[in-house]
Amino acid sequence: MRKSILLARSNLRRAKGQTAAIIVLIFLAALMLNLWLMLSMDYRQNFRRCHDRLNAEHVTMAIDGDTSEMRKFVTDTLKADKRTAEFFLDSVLHMVGTFEYNGGEMNSEFIFMEKEDALNRKIGKIEIVEDSSYTRGIYMPVLYRSDDIAVGKTMELSIGSRKMSYTVCGFFNSAMMGSHNCSMCGVLLTEDCYQELEEAGYAPRAALCSIRLHDREGSEDYDAMLKDAVSARYPAARTASNTYAMVSQSRYISQMICSGIMSAMACFILIIALVVIASNIINYIQENMKNLGALKAVGYTSRQLISSLQMQFTGIALVVAWMGAGVSYVLFPYINEMMISQTGIPYEVRFLPVPFFLTLAVLGGTVSGVVWMSSRRIRNVEPIVALRQGIQTHTFKQNHVPLDRTRTPLNLALALKTTMSGVKHNVTICITMLVLSLVAVFSGLMVRNMIMDSAPFLDMIVGEIADSCINVQAEAEEGFLKEMNTDERVQKIYLYHSLQVTHAGGDVLVATLTDDFSKVNNQKVMIEGRFPKYDNEIAVAAKYAAEKKLKTGDEIKLTAGGKQGAYIISGFVQISNNLGKDCLFTREGYERLGELENTSYYLNLADDTDIEAFNSEVKERFGDNVNATIDINATVQSGSAVYVSLMKIIVMAVLVLSVLVITFVLYLLVRTMVSNKKRDYGILKALGFTTGQLICQTALSFMPAVILSTIGGVTVCSFIINPLTALFLRNIGIVKSTFTVPVWYNILAGMGMILSAFLIACLLSLKIKKITPRALLAGE
Amino acid sequence: MKKILLKTENLSKSFSSGGNLQHVLKNIDLELYQGDFTVIMGASGAGKSTLLYALSGMDTPSLGTITFGERRISSLSQDELAVFRRDHCGFVFQQIYLIDGMSVMDNVLSAGLLTDRDRKSVILRAKELFADVDISEETQNKFPTQISGGEAQRVGMVRALINSPEILFADEPTGALNSKTGLDVLDTLTRFNEKGQSIVMVTHDMRSARRGSRILYLKDGMILGECDLGKYAMQDDSARQEKLASFLAEMGW
Repeated sequence: MRKSILLARSNLRRAKGQTAAIIVLIFLAALMLNLWLMLSMDYRQNFRRCHDRLNAEHVTMAIDGDTSEMRKFVTDTLKADKRTAEFFLDSVLHMVGTFEYNGGEMNSEFIFMEKEDALNRKIGKIEIVEDSSYTRGIYMPVLYRSDDIAVGKTMELSIGSRKMSYTVCGFFNSAMMGSHNCSMCGVLLTEDCYQELEEAGYAPRAALCSIRLHDREGSEDYDAMLKDAVSARYPAARTASNTYAMVSQSRYISQMICSGIMSAMACFILIIALVVIASNIINYIQENMKNLGALKAVGYTSRQLISSLQMQFTGIALVVAWMGAGVSYVLFPYINEMMISQTGIPYEVRFLPVPFFLTLAVLGGTVSGVVWMSSRRIRNVEPIVALRQGIQTHTFKQNHVPLDRTRTPLNLALALKTTMSGVKHNVTICITMLVLSLVAVFSGLMVRNMIMDSAPFLDMIVGEIADSCINVQAEAEEGFLKEMNTDERVQKIYLYHSLQVTHAGGDVLVATLTDDFSKVNNQKVMIEGRFPKYDNEIAVAAKYAAEKKLKTGDEIKLTAGGKQGAYIISGFVQISNNLGKDCLFTREGYERLGELENTSYYLNLADDTDIEAFNSEVKERFGDNVNATIDINATVQSGSAVYVSLMKIIVMAVLVLSVLVITFVLYLLVRTMVSNKKRDYGILKALGFTTGQLICQTALSFMPAVILSTIGGVTVCSFIINPLTALFLRNIGIVKSTFTVPVWYNILAGMGMILSAFLIACLLSLKIKKITPRALLAGE
Repeated sequence: MKKILLKTENLSKSFSSGGNLQHVLKNIDLELYQGDFTVIMGASGAGKSTLLYALSGMDTPSLGTITFGERRISSLSQDELAVFRRDHCGFVFQQIYLIDGMSVMDNVLSAGLLTDRDRKSVILRAKELFADVDISEETQNKFPTQISGGEAQRVGMVRALINSPEILFADEPTGALNSKTGLDVLDTLTRFNEKGQSIVMVTHDMRSARRGSRILYLKDGMILGECDLGKYAMQDDSARQEKLASFLAEMGW
């Protein structure tokens, strides 16, 4: 053991540079791995902890009306269901509303609660995260805390067709109503503000049912049951609801994206670090054959020699992994801050032993395995053979690029000779460049489809986008359409109304209806088959269809308002708004199940139209017949801003990491090459080669592997990036990614990678300058 | 009147060792002539190799000047020295220093193709030189680890001569060879000198030194004396041996 430690120390002293580079790679791998494990193993659990702490509901439903008769009906229904563990009914105000957020407009179903009542709730408790001395105003979910929405500032809230101004008094946390991603968003008002709103009648009274279940897994089925019961008894009652399953997923989309990218980066960097370590050990054995022979001759066993390498590399891996995992705790608060802007749930960073030790185990284990596999060759070193002439470490079976038979310029020919004789280097480079190609292509895809122009991202994720959405009462629909069709500002108006239906088996699907699907702006949502044309046709979400093994032409039964209807599947769509639980049918198709009480119309307006002003004008003109107006562009802008800024950070981070990785890998390779070829460089300098020529030769020798793997990598990745992205986003309902692959960006990125690799290799080869022919002759 | 190829004035070279400055060459004034076979002799540590490195542009002097033709090479940068060596010098080393990863032919062509000469003429010249030193075509395609020490040194000489250098520098060229192969190498050097090749050779071997036309004896970094042996001819070997022996005895060898 002691001898192995001595050998390991001696090896470390001789290869300080290589050791430093391996340390950096392992450090980065440990950092990413621990961050990923923390995000995937604990961060998601934060919702569960928050949910438990606040004794939050598993199903929440707001039912407009709030009469004692309705309360009795709901109470009886909930009591009759054995799945109900406990429930609570309270009175709230419920209305669609909008407010300015993130440079756009946020719209949601708002649940207005009186602050003190809300704080005393037994189920679905609400905790104040930030309070103030203001006694009159509004408390918003902590998710919306920003420069514009801050304590003491005034915010405008459009409630239905009215605008209200409130002073922000503080922020609260609610598990089920703390985000616009939860179908309904809670808002607390101080007593006088609440009374004022109630008296004004801008938002109708509603009964808020908060239900805890014995088994939270059944939240969606339970929600469907309750909706069916309520809509059968009160067909005109407007409802809004959310479930544990939906909220727990939708509040963690950014966590899922971030966690996925980190897992990929951690794996990539770990693979590269392992390849580099393996290459380093094989090289060490070749270059130190005589020394290893000498050590064996004086009594060292193969096991001791292998142990010294194990100690050197596994020891470094464990220590550095410990440091990397430690430093990840410094970075985690920043990631947490980034995540909170989407989850809206505060997360307390603390030491997590399982991810920490798992990181150490994964890095220690994989490095140890790679060291063992690559150092086994030491067992074959026979001391006599090694001492006599060294085991033939280079087998020059073939004279690559013979100078008398090639027309290639001399420096390039000599570089190619080096390339051809360095298989290990080429393999390391190929793996590194392939990984980096994937990173570059992914970054390009995100830059093109999300950062530069977010339309493709929004088309795929949001689904249908128009300028304005106006919800009108059914009785006013005809007059509304007549006026809109004569308004010069309206370029196109079409029905685009969403409501919930239940598929046989209890799954709740969000159904979108329109009169004519050829009118919708985003035709790309249909990924297989066609939009429904007839009243017995339906298009279902591809993710849902895959889960239920549904095929085009199959018949499915849907229930709404107590009625059931059978529909034939005409095609598959992908819309991620409802995490892949969507369906589309025609208005006539829906009317086989029930009548529409109100209808939402999407409008495309002339370019120079002020959408906000247009919406206000429509509200004024139609009064209470217009339930809500939404500036869709502003809403989408506001909602997507979080993801776009998250993606900007991710793209920047992966690009910086990529540059770091390629620099360190090349550093290791160049250093090894310069060290191995020191004698050759001395001879070539003595013969008249200049430092510049030798640096160029060294850098060029890496280029064939760099160029081929980059071209191959970028080309292959350009083809597989969309399927990979779809795989990555499958949880939110995306089964086919339709992002535009930016061919020119990829070509430029590939060229940039090749050029960067060449320049980095040139810079790292500057050490050749120190090699002098005199040093060679003097035997230094 | 012999043409001066290379000239030194007050050539000095010092090394710092453990904080002490060690003066290896001290104010050497020297002229090397075209066509000469100059041999530098001296005891170990006299500064022979250091002088050879300085003369050949492998190393730069601490003080003094070295002029090649009209060009002062002592003030050139490392890259300019590399170009100077490429264009004007050839080198034969004791340790031979062939590059293991290149075939014998490629070792020679890597030096030959470095100049701007026509590729075909370089290859032709290499083949002529190989024939001259008796290296077969089969050997030309082998790698240095696959040939004998004598063959390797002859390949080293072909590499040194491929660019038709104005001076061939040889540092103990027979030092790593056995007696028979060493003799072959000396014969080859002599043959090239007969054809007009200027040679500067460092040796401490009397048998090698006899091949020289001019012997310089170095002691403590200074040229203590020189001896003109005249052009070598097989028949005057014993007379040269006596003359050289008496010169070396006079120098305290």
